[in-house]
Amino acid sequence: MLHAVSRKDRGRFASALAQMHRDRKKVFVDRLGWRLPVFEGEFEIDQFDGDEAVYLLEIDDHGVHQGSLRLLPTTAPHLLSEVFPDLCERGVPRGPDIWEITRLCTAPDLADPRPVRQALLLGVVEFALMSGVRRYTCMTHVPYLNAVLAVGWDCAPLGLPREDAGVMVGAIAIDITPQTLDIVRDCTGRATPVLAAWENRHAA
Amino acid sequence: MSAFSDVEQFVSSARGLTRMGDLAALLTETVEALGFDYVALVHHVHFTTPEAAAQAVQVVDYPEAWHAVVAARGYFADDPVLAACQKSAAAFVWSDLPSLLPLTARQTEILEAAGACGLAEGFTVPVNVPGEFLGSCSFGIATGGELPRRALPAAQYVGCFAFEAARRIQRLEAARGGRGGASSGPRLTQRQFDCVILAAQGKSDWHIAQLLGISSATVHQHIEMAKQRFGVASRTELVVRALFDAQITFADVLR
Repeated sequence: MLHAVSRKDRGRFASALAQMHRDRKKVFVDRLGWRLPVFEGEFEIDQFDGDEAVYLLEIDDHGVHQGSLRLLPTTAPHLLSEVFPDLCERGVPRGPDIWEITRLCTAPDLADPRPVRQALLLGVVEFALMSGVRRYTCMTHVPYLNAVLAVGWDCAPLGLPREDAGVMVGAIAIDITPQTLDIVRDCTGRATPVLAAWENRHAA
Repeated sequence: MSAFSDVEQFVSSARGLTRMGDLAALLTETVEALGFDYVALVHHVHFTTPEAAAQAVQVVDYPEAWHAVVAARGYFADDPVLAACQKSAAAFVWSDLPSLLPLTARQTEILEAAGACGLAEGFTVPVNVPGEFLGSCSFGIATGGELPRRALPAAQYVGCFAFEAARRIQRLEAARGGRGGASSGPRLTQRQFDCVILAAQGKSDWHIAQLLGISSATVHQHIEMAKQRFGVASRTELVVRALFDAQITFADVLR
């Protein structure tokens, strides 16, 4: 089940969140070789993993982390505003209805990560529709860009890509409307809500 | 206009297009504005089956002479640019190819023949959508011209967004043509996928059956169906095609 975990829910998901930081270290630092700060040798945590962050957390029946991503309000400091503002040719897009997606990761030992990726994809759209988010921004590695575009949602570049630590990186915006949910459901072949809170809201 | 304005304009104009011919015209115009002479947007697939041909993207504006030579000498399968896309997720300049992969005599011949046909230099953006055929967008320079190095980041984005636009239009056109364009490339079912990965690890039908808890006959059937989908005759070809089209990855096989 997918959960949107904000500051007030951190205690309830403490162990899954710790596992998320461990998996992020295994995936981003050990496997992909990104130069990121590592806490106590096993947790990847940066300056944006603070009170403002909302995590979409996919956990199995035993509460174990399967995959996650991090959402940050652009009204607060975030990756594009603090670290890569030059990727946005016309200024970093900011506003209460614009959030940033970072740190998409699946547990490194999953036999098939595709269902988890699909749940996260559906989850970001459900979260946006539920919370009044109309646009996501994100930084992508250009070799992964077409996987993002292939979802079929409405993407636009925010500036030209440039090299960072040997790979081309760029920033894009993804616009979310109620129609986006149909597009993503069509792309994933899943027609039911994935986000726990979203399901409850509709049940209520 | 700045290079980024060219990219923005391309992305917003491509968004509403529904015909491949219109995309080709827009792409040619954008590519010229960036300082290139030719462009090719392709899925790396031989058109062996009508199904594959109907689902693959192919928008090519290269010198006429080059088309004739490629067809006559069967260069497609050995094209060093396509081979480099297999090895590298990052975009590359053609004159850097010898440092990216050891070129065979035939691959060197292909590059020289392209130069002789007026296509001397270029820049290629590999495009990988997991679970689909590998693709690329190449920007060519006429013999005697100079590669516009400053335009390469913009070209990289135009390549990515153009490929997605072509992929979307391809589906629309396939649906219009009644070919049921919802799928793209031969896709394996989950069970076929499981069987192909284990076959790629060298396991026999019997062994795969034990691991998946199904009968040998069922495994055989899954493998046969997967072979049919790719239009190949042997188990080895099936594994190679599935890897080539990124249906399965080396990470799946070598775990």
